[in-house]
Amino acid sequence: MLAPQQLAELGRLLAADRVATDTDTLTRYGLDWTRYFTPDAAAVLFPKTVEEVVALVRWAQREQFALVPSGGRTGLSGGAVARNGELVVSFERMNAILELDKVGRTVRCQAGVITKTLQEYALANGLYYPVDFASSGSSQIGGNIATNAGGIKVVRYGMTREWVVGLKVVTGEGEVLELNHGLAKNNTGYDFRHLFIGSEGTLGFIVEATLRLARPPAELAVMVLAVPQLADIMNIFNAYRDKLDLTAFEFFSEQALRHVLARGTVQRPFDEAADYYVLLEFEKIAPDTETQALALFEYCAEQGWLVDGVLSQSQQQAAELWRLREDISESITPYKPYKNDIAVVVSKVPAFVAQLDEILAREYPQFEVVWFGHIGDGNLHINVLKPEALAIDDFRRACEQVNKHVFELVRDFNGSMSAEHGVGLLKHDYLDVSRSHAEIRLMKAVKSLFDPDGIMNPGKLV
Amino acid sequence: MKALVAVKRVVDYNVKVRVKADGTDVDVANVKMSMNPFDEIAVEEAVRLKEAGKVSEIVVVSLGVKQCEETLRTALAMGADRAILVETDAELQPLAVAKLLKAIADKEQPQLLIVGKQAIDDDANQTGQMVSALLGWAQGTFASKVDVAAETVDVTREVDGGLETVKLRLPAVVTTDLRLNEPRYVKLPNIMAAKKKPLDKTTPAELGVDVAPRLKTLKVAEPAKRSAGIKVANAAELVAKLKNEAKVL
Ligand SMILES: Cc1cc2nc3c(=O)[nH]c(=O)nc-3n(C[C@H](O)[C@H](O)[C@H](O)COP(=O)(O)OP(=O)(O)OC[C@H]3O[C@@H](n4cnc5c(N)ncnc54)[C@H](O)[C@@H]3O)c2cc1C
Ligand SMILES: Cc1cc2nc3c(=O)[nH]c(=O)nc-3n(C[C@H](O)[C@H](O)[C@H](O)COP(=O)(O)OP(=O)(O)OC[C@H]3O[C@@H](n4cnc5c(N)ncnc54)[C@H](O)[C@@H]3O)c2cc1C
Repeated sequence: MLAPQQLAELGRLLAADRVATDTDTLTRYGLDWTRYFTPDAAAVLFPKTVEEVVALVRWAQREQFALVPSGGRTGLSGGAVARNGELVVSFERMNAILELDKVGRTVRCQAGVITKTLQEYALANGLYYPVDFASSGSSQIGGNIATNAGGIKVVRYGMTREWVVGLKVVTGEGEVLELNHGLAKNNTGYDFRHLFIGSEGTLGFIVEATLRLARPPAELAVMVLAVPQLADIMNIFNAYRDKLDLTAFEFFSEQALRHVLARGTVQRPFDEAADYYVLLEFEKIAPDTETQALALFEYCAEQGWLVDGVLSQSQQQAAELWRLREDISESITPYKPYKNDIAVVVSKVPAFVAQLDEILAREYPQFEVVWFGHIGDGNLHINVLKPEALAIDDFRRACEQVNKHVFELVRDFNGSMSAEHGVGLLKHDYLDVSRSHAEIRLMKAVKSLFDPDGIMNPGKLV
Repeated sequence: MKALVAVKRVVDYNVKVRVKADGTDVDVANVKMSMNPFDEIAVEEAVRLKEAGKVSEIVVVSLGVKQCEETLRTALAMGADRAILVETDAELQPLAVAKLLKAIADKEQPQLLIVGKQAIDDDANQTGQMVSALLGWAQGTFASKVDVAAETVDVTREVDGGLETVKLRLPAVVTTDLRLNEPRYVKLPNIMAAKKKPLDKTTPAELGVDVAPRLKTLKVAEPAKRSAGIKVANAAELVAKLKNEAKVL
C-alpha cells in the first residue's frame, strides 16, 4: 500500500497524470498474458524520460518499495505481474525511435517501442528487424530484450540477443549504464549487456536499446505439409535444411489447427486432416529455389514422411498460411491453457518427443493437449487446456503434478524448461530443472550486485 | 462444356506500392507479382464447376509479358487443363484486352468466359463488359453465385443494396466478385503436375489485334497523407475544434 504522502511524492517525480491508481488501470497493468494470478499493484507509473526512471528507482530504494518493469504485457510467465502491492513501471510512454544509422545498420530506440513498429520502421528504410512472433503488435522492444524473445524466425536469425548491440539501463541503485555503445566488436571485459538480455526486469530497467538490422529477405514462400507421424517431422527438417535456407520451420497438431479453424477466419489447407503439420518458409533467393523445394517435397513423399503439401502462390496466401500457425496461441487462450515451453537440442528432438508423447498420454488422459512450436529450434509448446468444469486452481495443481514427470524428462535430456518464455513467477520453482545449484547461487549473487535492496521485480526468475 | 478463364499478373495484394519519382506510373521494379485475386476466384469457380461435372475443360489465358507463364502455371496447378499466353511487352489497356480475349474466344468457342470483375492494379472494371459486347454474348457481372444449366446460367449479382439474379443464355461472360468463393491453396503435387500441362503461346499480331494504347496517363500521385490525430481534453474542446478548425459543425 502506498501512503498518501508517498503517492504525492510520486506525483511530483513524474506528473500527477502519469501516476495511476484507478482500479481499471491497476488490474490491467498488474497482469501480463498469463491468467493465473490476481493482480494487486499499488500504482502504475508512466515515466517519459531516463531521468524520471532514475528518480523513481532512487525513490523506491529509499522507500524499500518493489518495482515491476512492464512492457507490452504479452509475457507468458508472469514476469510483468504485480501481485504483492508493487509499483508497476510501464514503458508505454517511452516509445520514441531515436536514431537510424544506415551505414552501420543499427537503430537506437526507447524501450517502449512496439516490436511491430520497429519492424515497419526498418522496412520503410530498406532494412529488416527479424525477431517476430504472434504478439509483436503489442510487445515492446524492452520486454523482448528482458525476455530474450525468440519467435518464428530463430532458425535463420537467432533470438533477440543476436540483435542487441547496445543498451542503456538503470540499475536497481539508480545508476545509468551505457552498455556496448552499438559496437560490433568490444572485447573489454565482462559484457553486462548480455546479463540484462533475459534478466526479466530483475537487475534493472532497460530504457534504451541499439539494435542491429539486416537486409530484408527476398520473396518468402510458405509451404504447409501434412505429416502423419510426429517423428518424421525432423526427417523433413533435415532434408530441407540441407538444401534450402529456411527462414522458419514450425509445426502444429491437427488439434491445434482445429482451434484456429473454429474461429472461421482461415480455411483448412487440405481436404483431409493429418495428425501433424509443418509450416516452413524459405527465401526465393535464386530462380531454381522453388524447383529445389518441390524436388524435396517429392523426396520426402517417397520416404513416406508426408502425404500432402501446399505452397503459397502470393504474399497474401503466404500470410494466410502463417495464420494457421500464428493464430494458435490466441485461439486457445479462452481455455486458459497451461503452457509448457520446452526445448532440447535439435538432434534429440525425435527421442524426446517419443517419450514426452508417452508421458502426456499416460498422465493427461482427461485433458486436451495441444502441440505446436518452433520445432526447427528444438522448441515445443505443449499446451494443456483447462476443462470448462474444472476450477482454475485445481487445474493448475493437476498440471503441476504432471510437470514433475515432464521436467524429469527435460532434465534427463539436459533440456530447457523454458525455451523462450522466461521464468517469471510461473516457472520460478522449476529453475533447478535447467540450472545447477551453483549457477542459481551465482545468479542470486549477480542480482544482488545490480539490485542490492532487492527492489527489482522480486520473486521473479531467481 | 468448355470454360475460358482470363488471369492477369498484377502487383501482389500485400505489396505497398509506391509512385515513381517522375509521377508517370507506379514503381513495380523488384516487386512481388501474383495472380489478380478476382481472377483467382474466377479460376476457382471454373474448377468447382468442373468438379461438379458441369464443365469438361478449363482453358486459362493470360495476356502480357513472358512472366505471365508463372501466373498461368498457378492456374494450371489450381485445376485448369491448359493455358494460352498471348505474349507481348506492350502496355495493354482494357479495350485491347477485350479484343484479344474475343480473338481467343473465337478460336476456342467456350460456353463460359469467366473473368475477374476488375484487376487490383488499374481497377478499370471494363474488360468483362467490353468483351461481352464485342462477342455479342450476355453478361453477368459482379457474380456472387453462379448456377450453370445446359443452355443457361443463373448469375447472382452483388448490386447496391442487395442481390439480383439474372438468367443468361449461353455462351455468356461472367465477372467474379469477392464473395463468389474462397480460392483453394495450391497443392504441391498439382504444382508439379501443372508443369506438364500444355501451355501454348501466341501474340497479338498472330491474333490480328492492334493493341496500341488509346488512353494516356497524365499523372500518378500518392493518396493524400493522413495527418496524425490529436487528443482533446474534453467534449467542449472537441466541439470547439470541430466548429472552428474542421468547420464541420
Ligand atoms: C500470442 C503470443 C505469442 C507469443 N509468441 C512468442 C514466441 O514465439 N516467442 C517468444 O519468445 N515469446 C512469445 N510470446 C511471449 C511474449 O510476447 C514475449 O516474451 C515478449 O518478448 C514479451 O514482451 P512484452 O513487452 O510484452 O513484455 P512483458 O510481458 O511486459 O514483460 C516481460 C518481462 O520483461 C520485463 N520487462 C518488460 N519491459 C522491461 C524493461 N523496459 N526493462 C526491464 N524489464 C522489462 C518484465 O518485468 C517481465 O519480466 C508470445 C506471447 C503471446 C501472447
Ligand atoms: C599473428 C596473430 C594474429 C592474430 N589475429 C587475431 C585476430 O584476427 N583476431 C583476434 O581476435 N585475435 C587475434 N590474435 C590474438 C590471439 O591469437 C587471439 O586472441 C587468440 O584467441 C588467443 O588464443 P591463445 O590460445 O593463444 O590464448 P593465450 O594468449 O594463451 O591467452 C589469452 C588469454 O586467455 C586466457 N586463457 C587461455 N586459455 C584459457 C582457458 N582455457 N581458460 C581460461 N582462460 C584462458 C589467458 O589467461 C589469457 O588471458 C592474433 C595473434 C597473432 C599472434
